[in-house]
Amino acid sequence: MPLQQGSARARQRTVLLVGIAVLLAALVLAVVLASLLTHGRHAVSPQMLKWKDRGTTKNLQEVILGRCYNYITAQHPELGDKDCLKIWESLKDAFIYKNPCNITPEDYQPLMELASHPVPCNKSLFWSKTGDLAHRYTKSNQNFLTLEDTLLGYMADKISWCGDPSAPGINYESCPKRSECESNPGSVFWKMASKMFAEAACGVVQVMLNGSVEAGAFRSSSIFGSVEVFNLDPDKVSEVHIWLMQDIGGPQSESCSGHSIQRLISILEERNFKIICEDNYRPVQLLQCVHNPDHTDCRLCTNST
Amino acid sequence: KWKGEGTTQNLESIVIGRCYDYIRIVNPAVGEKNCSQIWEAFKNAFINKDPCSILPKDYELFINLTLHTIPPNKSLFWENNQLLVNRFADRGRRYMSLGDTLFGFLGDFLYWCGQADSPGLDYESCPTTVECENNAVESFWRMASITYARHSSGVIHVLLNGSADGGAYPQPGFFADYEIPNLQRGKISQIVIWVVDDIEGPDIDSCGAHTVKTLETRLKTLGYDVTCTDNNK
Repeated sequence: MPLQQGSARARQRTVLLVGIAVLLAALVLAVVLASLLTHGRHAVSPQMLKWKDRGTTKNLQEVILGRCYNYITAQHPELGDKDCLKIWESLKDAFIYKNPCNITPEDYQPLMELASHPVPCNKSLFWSKTGDLAHRYTKSNQNFLTLEDTLLGYMADKISWCGDPSAPGINYESCPKRSECESNPGSVFWKMASKMFAEAACGVVQVMLNGSVEAGAFRSSSIFGSVEVFNLDPDKVSEVHIWLMQDIGGPQSESCSGHSIQRLISILEERNFKIICEDNYRPVQLLQCVHNPDHTDCRLCTNST
Repeated sequence: KWKGEGTTQNLESIVIGRCYDYIRIVNPAVGEKNCSQIWEAFKNAFINKDPCSILPKDYELFINLTLHTIPPNKSLFWENNQLLVNRFADRGRRYMSLGDTLFGFLGDFLYWCGQADSPGLDYESCPTTVECENNAVESFWRMASITYARHSSGVIHVLLNGSADGGAYPQPGFFADYEIPNLQRGKISQIVIWVVDDIEGPDIDSCGAHTVKTLETRLKTLGYDVTCTDNNK
């Protein structure tokens, strides 16, 4: 009888073990299936193209709208007739659902028309390799305006965007670098906006260049050198003032007598502009001195006899 | 009806836009914030109420939602020299003034007020502080100043205008009435005062004199280590 009980118990144990094994197998299968299904659901757009630069800024719409209203309401009420919602829609239409390597100036034409506004004469400040310094200067001296101080530039500064043919049409993961394709939404935007900014300039214009870069203060490959210089209108612009800024205590790679500056001067003179070049324009240098108050170039009283 | 400027147009879009601008671009270190919730908390502080009955604590939820750390040694207090402060602080990179915090950034240069028995904003006019103290904007800045002072630590800097009429240290004033009383003595190692005159402006006040002396004495009596410099380079 113990044998019989033993075998009954053994059978029970086997059934139990088999039951547990089946349960475990079912569990494993369920987990595997679940992960496969949810993975498929969470990969929002597995077919979205992948690029090397950062993706579209999150909450792009809110940021653009907020900046637009901030600009026209709180800073420039004379532009009160601008329609920020239309402006946002025209920006979005320029790139949404499109392959981000196929963007054309025509895509941005409606936006450019809606958002552009005149710039007062003698106030345009161009810049190359001096962005930070130029913007600190215009913030402290409202007599000058860089592209980023106009509505278009203000809305787009430090932001990125690009589309993709698959839903939802905007790529928040990555966007093409210029080296991957030139006709990407960002590059085309800034090229067009820079062209218009140059075309709108009148009177005396200023340009802030960097005399501490090894490759030269003026480069033909920069936006200034390739787009802005050639879109200044000789019928509107009388003079170009160059401010050649060197880093405080930094390398003095170039000054007004340097090679690339001479090249810039000859290009401009050929287009009938009068040129004045100044090394380390003092008002801007004073801003640099805020960071380096103890440097000899930043002493308040210079040796005067 | 009131003597002050009415609510800024498109206030909601501006505040929400600035909120995302701040957390995505200006200072992403503060992490994720719910900007719609923040706007609601901001609005609920003053809508549907008598525009002369708004108190600083009505903004408590708003402050809770927008609060973030202020890095030690970066606080910059000021009086009568907002533009200079903005240039000097460099958008939070060198110093973080109240206008460079999220809660200050949202309200800077804007106007707003509501009306009793109506959920709408008053775009026509808003009460000035002379007409009534407990108005939406005044209470906002009082609450923001209190919060800013409470969360400041390390070496704190104060930038005063030595050419201002009536003295560099105004009393009554935000620094005097809302910031100094809310500084946390245990967290502050030193208070550095800079008195700066306008270029070619009058030298009305300086360290050790008049209102600045009053300020220095007050802070020393409270137990702070205080230094003062004129016309900061």
